[in-house]
Amino acid sequence: MIETLPELAHIVLQNGEAVEEAPFLTDVGAAALAVGLASLAAGYAERGIGAAAVGAIAEDDDMFVPGIVMTVLPETLVIFAIVAIFLVQ
Amino acid sequence: MSAGASNPEYVNARVRSRRASLFSDEDYRKLIRMGPSEIARFMEETEYEREINALGTRFSGVDLIEYALNRNLAKHFDDLLDWSEGRLYDLIARYLRKFDVWNLKTIIRGVYTDSDAEEIQTDLIRAGDLDDRTIDRLLEVDEIEDVIDVLYGTIYYEPLSVAYEEFEETGALVPLENALDREFFEHLLEGVSRPNASEPQEGPEALYIEFLQAEIDFRNARNALRLARSGADLDPAAYYIEGGVLFDETELSRLVTDYDELVDHIGENKRYGDRLSGAMDRLRDADSLIQFEHALDAALLEYADTLSSIYPTSVSAVLSYILAKEREVENIRAIARGREVGLTESEIEEELVIL
Repeated sequence: MIETLPELAHIVLQNGEAVEEAPFLTDVGAAALAVGLASLAAGYAERGIGAAAVGAIAEDDDMFVPGIVMTVLPETLVIFAIVAIFLVQ
Repeated sequence: MSAGASNPEYVNARVRSRRASLFSDEDYRKLIRMGPSEIARFMEETEYEREINALGTRFSGVDLIEYALNRNLAKHFDDLLDWSEGRLYDLIARYLRKFDVWNLKTIIRGVYTDSDAEEIQTDLIRAGDLDDRTIDRLLEVDEIEDVIDVLYGTIYYEPLSVAYEEFEETGALVPLENALDREFFEHLLEGVSRPNASEPQEGPEALYIEFLQAEIDFRNARNALRLARSGADLDPAAYYIEGGVLFDETELSRLVTDYDELVDHIGENKRYGDRLSGAMDRLRDADSLIQFEHALDAALLEYADTLSSIYPTSVSAVLSYILAKEREVENIRAIARGREVGLTESEIEEELVIL
């Protein structure tokens, strides 16, 4: 293991140079990732709310509008994440 | 048993909605002033409509009300099992076995007294874990031994077989009924609570356990008070249910002989002392055991409500709904029966358990 270290370091350094030419993650890419993760989180949050909303609607049709409003509330997470795109541009 | 993720959000939303549509104080006040046929008409305008209409041609008066109540109860609790999945289903099904036990007791009593199947059938509440086919088969048998044979493969088979020997010796149904009760309560805490070991200390699961322990404790307390009151020469240990925190078996045997000490013991308990203080006072002054039992029921109901607001999406809300629904059914039945035999309004009011 230890004997191979210099070689390994060499390769890593070479890679390091390569990164400067084509970075693994650009600013815009990172922002896109942020939006994606935020969407995932929003989806997870909506899972429970949606289930509860459907339950409420099944019992009482009048709950349809409040149910939809509640269900899409976590969508605000994604809107905040979109701010990151404007920040990096 | 079902596998997969549980869906407490969905079930909770539906349960809370149904909880909200239960009869309120005001409805009860109206009902108390009505006669049986008026009560039936009142129920027709509420969510009991379908049951009243379905049974209205065959029955009338108090019988109609009673059967409609039973059927409605079964419908709602079956719905609970329909909706829930995964772990939630297991927990609810486990609790609803209470009705299996009730049905089996009814059937055994019916067989014992040679009642015909039709008569037994109307008293059943088909809300439990046993499927309809098994129950229908149970209704057809004539001997208690055959009842037990039909139950082969269910959790009730073994305890009943053991109790049957005792039944053959004494000819009393008590051992069979005790066996059923015990089997139910012992399965309740199975898998969630292990003695002295890794019992969850907080979180929804811990509250579930706390609720069940409260129920077992109250059941024990009620049995103990009844024994102490009646002065009957029965072995209290035979009625003791494991799993509670209020008594252990030796304590119970000792306390049953001394009524005042028993009352003090319940009052001094940390968990229930404050909650039941009103009921305890009444128990000390009054002679009425019924009052105290109602106080216990009300306390349990209130307790379940508190638990359900601590963890909004857990099984607690469902349990609290089950209790509240049962209460409602019992209250309406008490009103109807009370009116039938001509009790006064205040007498009926004493029979009700209203939060």
